[in-house]
Amino acid sequence: MNILAELPVQALHGLVYGMLLFLVASGLTLIFGMMGVLNFAHGALYMLGAYFSYTILQLTGQFWLCLLVAPLVVALAGILIERFCLRKVHSYGHAHELLLTFGMAYIIEELVKIFWGNEPLRVVLPSLLAGSIPLLGIEYPVYRLFILGVSIVVFIIMFFVLYKTRAGIIVRASVANKRMVDALGFNVPLVFLVLFGMGAWLAGLAGVIGGPYLITNPAMASTIIIDLFVVVVVGGLGSIQGALIASLLIGQLQSIGILILPQFAIFFEFLLMALVLIFRPHGLMGESK
Amino acid sequence: MTSSAWLKWLLLAAGLAVLAAMPWLVGEYPLNLIITMIIYSLFALSYNVLFGQAGLLSFGHAAYFGLGAYTSVLLFKDLGFSLLPGILGAGLAGGLLGVLLGLFVVRLGGTYFALLTLAFNALIYAGAEKWRGLTGGEDGVAAMRPDLHIPFYGDVGMFSTVHWYYFVLIVVLLSTWFCWHFTRTPLGRLNECLRENEDRARFIGYNVYMSKVAVNVISAFFAGLAGGMAGAFQEFVTVTFINLDKATDVLIMTFVGGSGTFWGPILGACFLTYLNQVLSDLTEHWTLIQGIIFVLLVMYAPQGLSGLLISLKDRFWGARAGKLNPAAKGEG
Repeated sequence: MNILAELPVQALHGLVYGMLLFLVASGLTLIFGMMGVLNFAHGALYMLGAYFSYTILQLTGQFWLCLLVAPLVVALAGILIERFCLRKVHSYGHAHELLLTFGMAYIIEELVKIFWGNEPLRVVLPSLLAGSIPLLGIEYPVYRLFILGVSIVVFIIMFFVLYKTRAGIIVRASVANKRMVDALGFNVPLVFLVLFGMGAWLAGLAGVIGGPYLITNPAMASTIIIDLFVVVVVGGLGSIQGALIASLLIGQLQSIGILILPQFAIFFEFLLMALVLIFRPHGLMGESK
Repeated sequence: MTSSAWLKWLLLAAGLAVLAAMPWLVGEYPLNLIITMIIYSLFALSYNVLFGQAGLLSFGHAAYFGLGAYTSVLLFKDLGFSLLPGILGAGLAGGLLGVLLGLFVVRLGGTYFALLTLAFNALIYAGAEKWRGLTGGEDGVAAMRPDLHIPFYGDVGMFSTVHWYYFVLIVVLLSTWFCWHFTRTPLGRLNECLRENEDRARFIGYNVYMSKVAVNVISAFFAGLAGGMAGAFQEFVTVTFINLDKATDVLIMTFVGGSGTFWGPILGACFLTYLNQVLSDLTEHWTLIQGIIFVLLVMYAPQGLSGLLISLKDRFWGARAGKLNPAAKGEG
């Protein structure tokens, strides 16, 4: 097969992964923009989503139930981490908060290994999503299109909430100027808590739909965290549009990179990051504060 | 000299005497464990030049350590270097990488620094994994530990654990002395000033960027040296020397030991290496226990074990009123 013929299919693969990455990265970048905390445990929460989903599927056999319940459980875990651990070290400064979330990620990864084992787990998809349909001249797995659909829907809802509702205005205002929002009488710690929960929910959702696609295994968190951090650096800390652009770029770089130079595909995203750092140290859409 | 200064010198002399007599005190197996502790002490010490002294939280120190390990093993295997040039080569390789990465990573401080070091470590890891011709990929490379060549004397065999122990001990003691001395040099002082108030250092007229690069190079050199010895010790190097786990291990060691004191990282490296040895025989969930210790310390004792020891000492032996307690730093 020649490269040109495969290009559209690979681009579609890249789009699917890019959107999935965006689901996880959006929460990370919002939390960072607002709280100044780079949540190292974000990748671990995403992994928890995949594992909870696996267990719920084992117990009930209902994939749709997983989609509903697992992200909520992950959101609860995120809220507990914020309320009982992160808030305690807030006064020590951002480095400490980063260390705490790093420790949490470490613990979650070990717990996952203890409860679910080291082996990759296979998730059986419902028949509706398991097949493939003809698309762009090949049989394309329906499930990947499903991932794309879910992430686009979530993306639209998130933009609507952030830009058209009062709650979204408060969140965006807190990202821009936390002190002012505090001074205006809003309960900033509560906003943090809710945002942290929402970020965890998004990560959990991405884990549920990403698990069957990227294989549920204990290295899921550390694999995605590198991509996530590159997204955050390239997009600009705290910028949701930046996160979207960077996620899609990295999706394309990975899938098209594999097509052109399979051995070196992994280096493209680092090259992108290095270029962004040299020419726009605060990221594509980031503002220097 | 005051009595406390005398006490310090006495403790130091006693410590050195115990280290020198170690091969007579313990058997072969514990001596191997102690060599590991000593090597990781240097790794943690080099890490703390960035973390504790410059206030830069790095997630990518394994890049220097791993590069050092590959360098020494490859120099022994492919170029037939003797021991000391191989180990020094490892340090130099680490330092060179420190220049290269330093130019990028120190441009932005704080969280950006953490992110970038992590990403660059991942890049170097990917390089080591893909360049199979040189590194052997996941299979790794092996090389026998060569003899130490001393001019006008001859070769000293390194097959014996005791000889190897003394070699590692001397290299690490000299490096430790250098790192300690470094904290008293103008650059070392500036380094701590950058942690406390970077803007002020800039106003005074220091070139903050180049100072940070220089500090990064020093830190990277010693990490490379530690890596070189770790590679020579195992007589084998693989991608586990350079992966993210290695990078976070040194962070955990340094933090658990306490980054606020010079000797904290050494304490942390010895404590965790020892616990690792003891607990991994008892339970396979050792890493979970290590994670829990780490999180508890982050939440309740941000100055680590050395901070805890200092506050205990102050409680029982009484800190004089008005004396600044280093353990209280950063808690405000």
